[in-house]
Amino acid sequence: MAERELEVMTEIHRIVTEELEWKGAVEPSQDLVRDLQLDSLGLTVLAVGLENRFRIRLSEEDAQGVRTVGDLAKLVAQRVAAPVEPRPEEALP
Amino acid sequence: MLSASGQDRSPFIRAVGRALPPHYASQEQLIAAFRELWATRHFNLERLEDLHRAVQVGGRHLALPLEAYPSLLTFQQRNDAWIRSATELGEAVVRQALDAAELTPGEVDHVFFVTVTGIATPSIDARLANRMRFREDFKRTPLFGLGCVAGAAGVARAADYLRGFPEHTALVIAVELCSLTLQREDLSIPNIIASGLFGDGAACAVLRGAAAPGARGPRVVASRSVFYPDTERVMGWDVVDTGFKVVLSAKVPGLVKDHIRGNVDGFLAQHGLKRGDIRHWVAHTGGPKVLEAFEEALELAPSTLERSWASLREVGNLSSASVLFVLGETLESVRAQPGDWGVMMAMGPGFGAEMVLLRW
Repeated sequence: MAERELEVMTEIHRIVTEELEWKGAVEPSQDLVRDLQLDSLGLTVLAVGLENRFRIRLSEEDAQGVRTVGDLAKLVAQRVAAPVEPRPEEALP
Repeated sequence: MLSASGQDRSPFIRAVGRALPPHYASQEQLIAAFRELWATRHFNLERLEDLHRAVQVGGRHLALPLEAYPSLLTFQQRNDAWIRSATELGEAVVRQALDAAELTPGEVDHVFFVTVTGIATPSIDARLANRMRFREDFKRTPLFGLGCVAGAAGVARAADYLRGFPEHTALVIAVELCSLTLQREDLSIPNIIASGLFGDGAACAVLRGAAAPGARGPRVVASRSVFYPDTERVMGWDVVDTGFKVVLSAKVPGLVKDHIRGNVDGFLAQHGLKRGDIRHWVAHTGGPKVLEAFEEALELAPSTLERSWASLREVGNLSSASVLFVLGETLESVRAQPGDWGVMMAMGPGFGAEMVLLRW
């Protein structure tokens, strides 16, 4: 696993244990909904936490291909490496 | 419900007053006001705006002008503002309800005051007594902590009382100023969702015992409370130095889907009724997902909860007052006819539900 993905894994672990009160282990193979028991609110808290930490935006379309913790770590790492174009208003000084 | 002597002791709901504070802000105005604050911690503000819009609330009435909130920093400041506004709004809604019921404050025997958004000792009902001159022997039952279920539970408990005192008149006053509980510095997602959903308002139901002179209106035939064990963290407050920090999980719609059908069917069966016999469903406006869960679990036709949806859009979730707003509108509707059955239902922290069977 690439260094960036490990960094994302650490942050996912922090969010689910500290903010979502998850007591068990957090592994890349775990299903976010089935294994970590994240509901819609939990998934939103996780997405917002990652967006804030890595200064990225995750969309509904992104969520389509994400099922496991590892899928999410990979997506975030890719987004950090190749950020989407800034919105016009953010390009202004 | 008949007494030992065969008389129907079911109390009457004579009127329901509704009052909203004067300061209105549209959802877009509120989003604009929150945006700068959100930006101090959050990166993707569009996601937060979408969360605010997803609750399908058009705007909220607020106890104070929007610009007054940032200066409320401590629990004391928030709660002092709550006591002032709750007393003002409480008086307005009680006067309106008593006028509609053609009664005077001196004819009130028992006041059930419900809230979850502020604390006061003496409680607000005592302050209203001084302003409105209830009799010196009026009884007071302030109820704190039932949250959104307290409107329905308050009516149920008042009806229980009136079965024992059938000549009496009881008020159920619900005053909820959710805006004054908002922890601006809590930028958690549950708090941001709550800040998009909950509004301020007050309602007052006037109930009269079966033997009270001139009593009329729909009758409270029966009620049923349901407690769901081990669900303490589904909704509630964590009390922190700055006030009430919201606990809100996404499990509420799931609880509705899992339980409400069995709860309602069992309750109705006790009275020889089925869901198809119910003409008026008076549902707490918990939020879009909660109302959808009610519709799905109870297999209700799309327009059945129309009043709840409209109330949610117009004023947001008013906690315990919400279901009384919907009840008041149902009472004043020309569609309610003698002989109609109705069910009022709400859920709240515990987690629990209250169902109230009504007959016009």
